[in-house]
Amino acid sequence: MLENFVLEKDHLLPLLRKLGRQYRLVAPVRNRHGDTLFTEIHDLDRVEIDLEHQPQSSLKPFFFPQVEVLSMYGLDHDTSSGATWYSFYPQLPENRPTVYFGVRSCDMMAVMYTDMIFLQSSEYDVYYARHRENAIFITIGCNQPFSNCFCNATRSGPFLEHGFDIQLTDIGDRFFVETGRARGVQLRRQWAYFFRDATEDDRRAQFQAALEARGLFNRLVHVDLVTRILARQEEPEAIFAELSARCQDCGGCAYICPTCTCFTIHDQALDEDRGERLRTWDACTFSGFTRMAGGHNPVDPDRQRVRKRFLHKLLHDVEHHGRTSCMGCGRCVDMCFGGVDILRFIEMVSENETEHEETP
Amino acid sequence: MTNSINEIEQAQVILVSGSNTTRTHPQVARRFYRAVDRGAKLIVIDPRRTRLARHAHIHLRIRPGTDIALLNGMMRSIIDENLIDDLFIQMRTENYTTMRDMLFGIDLAQAAAITGVPEKTIRRAARIYAQAQRSVICYCLGVTQHIAGTGNVQSYANLAMLTGHVEQEFTGVDPLRGQNNVQGACDMGALPGVLPGYQSVFDDAVREKFARVWGVELPATPGLTLLDMTHEAGGGATGLPQAAPAIRALYVTGENPLLSEPSLNGVKKAFHQYDFLVVSDIFLSETARVADVVFPAASFAEKTGTITSSERRVQLMRKAIEPVGDSRPDDWIVMELARRMGHAMDYTSPAEVMEEICMVTPIYGGMYHDRLDREWGVQWPCGGRNMEGTQYLHKYSFARGRGRFEPAAHVEPAEVPDSDYPFALITGRFYFQYHTGTMTRRTPILERESGQPLLEMHPDDGRRLGLRPGSVVTVASRRGRSRFVVELTDRVAPGNLFTSFHFAEAPVNELTIDASDPVARCPEYKVCAVRLEEVEPC
Repeated sequence: MLENFVLEKDHLLPLLRKLGRQYRLVAPVRNRHGDTLFTEIHDLDRVEIDLEHQPQSSLKPFFFPQVEVLSMYGLDHDTSSGATWYSFYPQLPENRPTVYFGVRSCDMMAVMYTDMIFLQSSEYDVYYARHRENAIFITIGCNQPFSNCFCNATRSGPFLEHGFDIQLTDIGDRFFVETGRARGVQLRRQWAYFFRDATEDDRRAQFQAALEARGLFNRLVHVDLVTRILARQEEPEAIFAELSARCQDCGGCAYICPTCTCFTIHDQALDEDRGERLRTWDACTFSGFTRMAGGHNPVDPDRQRVRKRFLHKLLHDVEHHGRTSCMGCGRCVDMCFGGVDILRFIEMVSENETEHEETP
Repeated sequence: MTNSINEIEQAQVILVSGSNTTRTHPQVARRFYRAVDRGAKLIVIDPRRTRLARHAHIHLRIRPGTDIALLNGMMRSIIDENLIDDLFIQMRTENYTTMRDMLFGIDLAQAAAITGVPEKTIRRAARIYAQAQRSVICYCLGVTQHIAGTGNVQSYANLAMLTGHVEQEFTGVDPLRGQNNVQGACDMGALPGVLPGYQSVFDDAVREKFARVWGVELPATPGLTLLDMTHEAGGGATGLPQAAPAIRALYVTGENPLLSEPSLNGVKKAFHQYDFLVVSDIFLSETARVADVVFPAASFAEKTGTITSSERRVQLMRKAIEPVGDSRPDDWIVMELARRMGHAMDYTSPAEVMEEICMVTPIYGGMYHDRLDREWGVQWPCGGRNMEGTQYLHKYSFARGRGRFEPAAHVEPAEVPDSDYPFALITGRFYFQYHTGTMTRRTPILERESGQPLLEMHPDDGRRLGLRPGSVVTVASRRGRSRFVVELTDRVAPGNLFTSFHFAEAPVNELTIDASDPVARCPEYKVCAVRLEEVEPC
């Protein structure tokens, strides 16, 4: 059973200060240009931790960086025989115990999804694993969902039932604290004097906040209906074509998406004899993602560019993992300037269905 | 742009010419889409069937270089159907009778024959444009990069004035500018005949003002255009009115003329004649390679300054990281160079440079860094610190007083296809590469998306010549040759070819012509005659 505590808001910063000595601290920070981004904090007194706005970035870049050196390579040669060959020297990222503070439910769920992609025994990714080890997550429930949020429809928020180490709920002048996984329990015990046991009133306040939050979503999004429609294996080809024609081919949706994990690998020469082997984020909407060596592309970019993206999130992952890999964070809605984000797709498919039902 | 970019969403008719907007200005294209969603009509004038053209209600697929004939046809049709804005013409314009008399001599059948667009379609487009309350014209290099570029632009202005589609919100004439700061570069006097803020070098008072601030005498004659500088070292490039003095030294900054200028053979000759070449760039470009001295410049992320967008919005860009290695911000390079040449330029920050700009440039009068830092930029003209920017131009009256109709007559491109060189080659841009690729060609994922010098050809032409996608062909013009990889697509019309100048291994500017507009001296990149020579089937 989850244990419940209370942390006074006044004591949050002192707690983070303690944690910051022992761990690297990452939290949503509002910079002077008005952007809120997950940022590594070096000096708590010089940054503004922002729990009011949705962080524009997810945690993905911390575990799966946009560009990462996989190995160095260099030309080696044997002076006696004159033979030359390339040797590769893997570069494992450093492994720093980190507390991720202020993580929203959708982003926590996304980390659990990417764990599944990168850490399944058959495809264990040592680079991801190094970043991911020794990570502690202090999440915060969303009392007030943001304008494009629909995590209620994707069942990934606004509050978590599992997956977190510690989950906070804002109940006025204090946070309601739930400890989840072992590291959270241990962390709470280590700094026990910051927390007091929750009373029945606190529990009621938390319950009330969580209940109210569910009623505060701006958008009514029929994710379940659309996954059912897609599961019938009748592809909405006309919708794919319409959205593909408008896709501006920027890859922004995949880059901002907390669950998009596709990457490509290439070598970057540093000089004539040496270089780095890098992996970089990739996106299935790019033509080069599927184009073959002879120039043929099995995906028609004009009509099918966005097909893989939406089917992967809303059909294939449901088949493979039992849930959508869209976590309802709504970031792609802000990012997409072609107006072909996943919300638009879900709306079009569900409207299409309703129209069909209405016509006899 | 006379309008702001956001205004486009409210337009009822959008006339786009010579712009592959979804590829080159995606942030503008999104407004087109949104306007169309709201019921706006989209008219596209382009020899190519771009994605936008497919989306358009009317695609006027003209023969390259026939804008004037088309527009005169449209205007004639507007007069015939009495869709002109009499009141606007009377109150705000001049020289209308000359314009009208010229249009009365226009024959629509002939316009259709020249442009290849059916008469009925010309009439329909004209009617849709003229009848709406809020029609906006957006044009790009497909209009300007012709020997008749000035006439083309004037014709769009004529069309807008004839129908009163200017001087108001949501309706106007909007050239879409290219690089993030090409507008700013022009604003700051990177044009031969003007000082910052489009103040003429011929004006004694203007020169005196700058002389007092800069402490030097300023020449009363315009400088040379890029085309004149890079072709035969000022020794009489084609069409130059009078031979300029031979150039002995050239200082190139952020430009790669050995790939980007037309008719590259001539450019190479000119570069051989310089005694001294300095290039300032962030990478060793094709031009930097042959320089006597290279200044390693800092990238956009390593310096602070402003950029001015198409909608005249001056925005502050802040330094994100320190300059890498030995690179230096442009202002440091220029100031240090000036100091060592014996003229101290003593500014402690880009903000101080901007203060001087505000002082001497009326349209930038209020663009102080501390103000720009607080706002999402300010649109010029903005005369002072406490003044608002300007959302759209020419409110109540044109900058010059009355808008002047400048009738233009059709001019054939300098070189049209013939039996020796049967194809018309159009040059432009690909989505994933930027200009000469100094930056983008060093980016692996962009290279994967678009790493080949593709030559777009109509499938009928491909079939006739036995070509398949991926075939390698040598294309020759009267000036040079280059090798490309064939892409068969109906984006181009039969008889037309399209490619880009991004690729150093396939320099298309070996082929292009250095004929240029006599006023703007903008070369005719958009059309030259070529033939296919060697073909290697894949």
